[in-house]
Amino acid sequence: MANITKKVSWSSRADDSNATGEGTPLLNGSEGYPRQLSGGSIFQVGRLRTVDMDEGMTSDEDSLRGRPKEIRHSEKLLSLKYESLDYDNSENQLFLEEERRMSYMGFRCLEISRWVVCGLIGLLTGLIACFIDILVEQLAGLKYRVVKENIEKFTTVGGLSISLILWAVLNSAFVMVGAILVAYIEPIAGGSGIPQIKCYLNGVKIPRVVRLKTLLVKVAGVICSVAGGLAVGKEGPMIHSGAVVAAGVSQGRSTSLKRDFKIFEYFRRDTEKRDFVSAGAAAGVSAAFGAPVGGVLFSLEEAASYWNQMLTWRIFFASMISTFTLNFFLSVYHDNPGDLSNPGLINFGRFESNSLEYCLYEIPLFIAMGAIGGLLGALFNVLNYWLTIFRIRYIHKPCLQVMEAMLVAAVTATVSFTMIYFCNDCQPLGPDKAEEYPLQLFCADGEYNSMATTFFNTPERGVRSLFHNPPGSYNPLTLGMFTLTYFFLACWTYGLAVSAGVFIPSLLIGAAWGRLIGILLPSITSSSSVNIWADPGKYALIGAAAQLGGIVRMTLSLTVIMIEATGNVTYGLPIMLVLMTAKLVGDYFEEGLYDIHIKLQSVPFVHSEPPATSHWLTAREVMSSPVTSFSRIEKVGTIVDLLSNTSTNHNGFPVVVNHAAGDEPAKLCGLILRSQLIVLLKHKVFMELARSKLTRRKLQLKDFRDAYPRFPPIQSIHVSQDERECMMDLTEFMNPTPYTVPQETSLPRVYKLFRALGLRHLAVVDDSNRVVGLVTRKDLARYHLGKHGLEELQLAQT
Amino acid sequence: MLAAFPEDLEISEYCRSLLSIFKDQYVAYAGCLVSAARPVKVCLGCNQGYARLSEIYANISNDQTSNSSCRDSLLRSDRLMLVYRLYGNLQSIWTQAACDRCLGAEPHVLTNDTQYFMDELNQTLSCFEYQQGNQSVLCQQCKSMYESLNVLYGGMEKNRSLCIDMEDAMNVTRRLWSTTFTCISLREETVPVIAVSCFMLFLPIVFYLSSYLHSEQRKLKLIHPKRAKSNNSLMHIQDKFS
Repeated sequence: MANITKKVSWSSRADDSNATGEGTPLLNGSEGYPRQLSGGSIFQVGRLRTVDMDEGMTSDEDSLRGRPKEIRHSEKLLSLKYESLDYDNSENQLFLEEERRMSYMGFRCLEISRWVVCGLIGLLTGLIACFIDILVEQLAGLKYRVVKENIEKFTTVGGLSISLILWAVLNSAFVMVGAILVAYIEPIAGGSGIPQIKCYLNGVKIPRVVRLKTLLVKVAGVICSVAGGLAVGKEGPMIHSGAVVAAGVSQGRSTSLKRDFKIFEYFRRDTEKRDFVSAGAAAGVSAAFGAPVGGVLFSLEEAASYWNQMLTWRIFFASMISTFTLNFFLSVYHDNPGDLSNPGLINFGRFESNSLEYCLYEIPLFIAMGAIGGLLGALFNVLNYWLTIFRIRYIHKPCLQVMEAMLVAAVTATVSFTMIYFCNDCQPLGPDKAEEYPLQLFCADGEYNSMATTFFNTPERGVRSLFHNPPGSYNPLTLGMFTLTYFFLACWTYGLAVSAGVFIPSLLIGAAWGRLIGILLPSITSSSSVNIWADPGKYALIGAAAQLGGIVRMTLSLTVIMIEATGNVTYGLPIMLVLMTAKLVGDYFEEGLYDIHIKLQSVPFVHSEPPATSHWLTAREVMSSPVTSFSRIEKVGTIVDLLSNTSTNHNGFPVVVNHAAGDEPAKLCGLILRSQLIVLLKHKVFMELARSKLTRRKLQLKDFRDAYPRFPPIQSIHVSQDERECMMDLTEFMNPTPYTVPQETSLPRVYKLFRALGLRHLAVVDDSNRVVGLVTRKDLARYHLGKHGLEELQLAQT
Repeated sequence: MLAAFPEDLEISEYCRSLLSIFKDQYVAYAGCLVSAARPVKVCLGCNQGYARLSEIYANISNDQTSNSSCRDSLLRSDRLMLVYRLYGNLQSIWTQAACDRCLGAEPHVLTNDTQYFMDELNQTLSCFEYQQGNQSVLCQQCKSMYESLNVLYGGMEKNRSLCIDMEDAMNVTRRLWSTTFTCISLREETVPVIAVSCFMLFLPIVFYLSSYLHSEQRKLKLIHPKRAKSNNSLMHIQDKFS
């Protein structure tokens, strides 16, 4: 079992694979060692299976700790590389002083500058969205024109296989650029970015996730991957981009460019930054879908625990600004400046009112479609889960990742071409020229290949034509084949080392099978009711919602996004019902796609609810112990040694009154962070020096902010032998009132405290306020409810 | 008798005569439209009728000379507004047919482009007729003509200088070419396309197999967190459950 078992298996013998019982086949795979328990016995306590061990084994355990145990990657791990954000404010004396110095006007100005920052976030996010949109349109247009000319040329003279190769090569070339950017320069920019932002808003510091470099790679990468014809969308990356913009703008400087504008200095801490990042994510959603309210709700859904009304209002402001910046610049681009009524990167187009009618008796049908969406979504997620595990284990070299992405691009082109080639579904060209790149191929003159409207097009336009093309534009066979192939293509594509989202492909799959249902309905039912099922477009919409809901399992925000993107409230109820059903059905089989990816990244994610059946666990079992702590007045040498000890990469240290000998607990009087200690060491705030140089400037909160967010590693700070003997007084800098809980507190209580306050460290004290342990995010996140009851994740270095 | 009485009072003799002319023109134009319905010759065949109808309608609607104007009495004195509506229908047919695009500034003269297109079209059609007996010969002989016609049509489509007559004539020609004479290219290269596709589809399989077999699996180091003495905690748990 991957539970408390790890206490066990460090027996004197080296068969340390004991740690993996039958419940965790992933950990050791096929190598089935006999379960040997040296002097241990299995208890089944509650629903958490634990294995006891002898007291005498501790020495062995310690000696074995140095020896790293290697395992394969699986979802049941927590990675050490993820740290927590400091959402909780450290109310030390410096902070109090600063607050005292600040005038009433100062606070007013802060409030105003928060609004200014939000406006800037919206503006820049909208601009980025506009940039991406225009560039994708231009590049994809160029590609499709070249391929189309080529196909037209070769249709008559022969040599269509050359067109196929041309298409595949063009696709691969675009994708290669994108994949190289992602794989070699900034791997965190891969994927949709929503899981990463979700983690960030949850309070996990994902390394490099909000850097300028990430933004650049993300934007360039998504342009390449969409133009490269992959089954991807540009909406997820927009959300990530918005978040990066927010994190950058709110700091008033760029650490990457080494430029400091000396503004917004007050916002240089995790608490403020995270609020702005949620505004940025909202602005991103709103630019991507033209859904300002949906954006706000997205941020709310992902970061609901730290929220207040003013923040909501500011986030809404950022969202609105972002949508309308995008609208304005797109209107300039489309040569009717000033027209603000054409929102969103993805424009689902307006449904005409008469094609929208639905009746009460259609509701069960919609719910059934929701169930189908849930099933297909779960299938999608399961397949993608196995694929991602394979990718993490075997395809981790950048060159392999680039090759894989190129292969997917080439195969996507090939499959699309073959489908178009063998498609017999010809439709007359409409008078309104809805098809941008109509391919005739073997159709009669004046007709186009209907498979090409979905395959020979950017996915977004595909969605739009599935929603709005008049009845009879597609054969059932065409739609069926398209759904099938695109489902597997999209599933294969998500998780490649390219920056690309899964929203649009999901919508496209759903729209295809939804429209298929819409077409097949009249043929099933009696001919008298033909009129009722007249427009398959609405079924395409419902199918799209069902499929998307089945894959990403978002609820409130997705409903509102769909309503806003299609621009009508009439469908609010069906879309909500469909998303509910899809989530219900899907959750029965598998988690949402984003949650799967968060798990596979081994992120210590604190969910909104503690795992059920965990009330019997107390803080005593959860906490890390013994605690590495400092005395109020501590020797510099001790601090440096502890900080540079790589095996104990702690970030928060309880400060105790008097450090007792050994591991005996001592009275808690504060908490100090690694980052604070590093700043103190860097400025050499030693008591001896303070005595000798009286004129020395007093350290201010500003010094801590200047070092934020990239505190130098301890190795870069030089401390001489003499200085090691100095003493440091931590009283002024530590947080004097850290949150504490008694040892008997149950896990759910601890969990709620953590989640609601955004804590990073929680000290566990005994009845006389002596610190006996420390609970961190990783201690809490390791419990989760598995198939065999409560399970425990293992920590690993990745 | 009773019915005739108010009419005489309301409508002047002049208006009555206008209405009568309108009737004649209307009937003539509507008849022309019906006979030009298939194949569509609405713009080229009935443009004079439309011009005359518009003229008389303009006369009616501009008439404000007398103190009881015909415009008011004929067009808008009842809720049915029959004259207005009848004319409106025909006018909307005319607009939808986009006839103004192929007619010049003077209403009943074709534009030069239209004339040229019609000539080309007739040449192509006569070629079809001439070669009708032998399809393969037809496809070869008329190909250049048909293609240049297609190019011309495509160009005019971009300029938006097509009216319904030309569109319909082109549709018919295309249908003749594609369906009746089946001169379109056939799916002949199935084998090379399938071969290339299979090769492409084969590549990922090779890639995944080779990376499965050759790539070194990434291993992770497990870390063992510090915990409270297990003995202690387990005793604790057991106490609770015993």
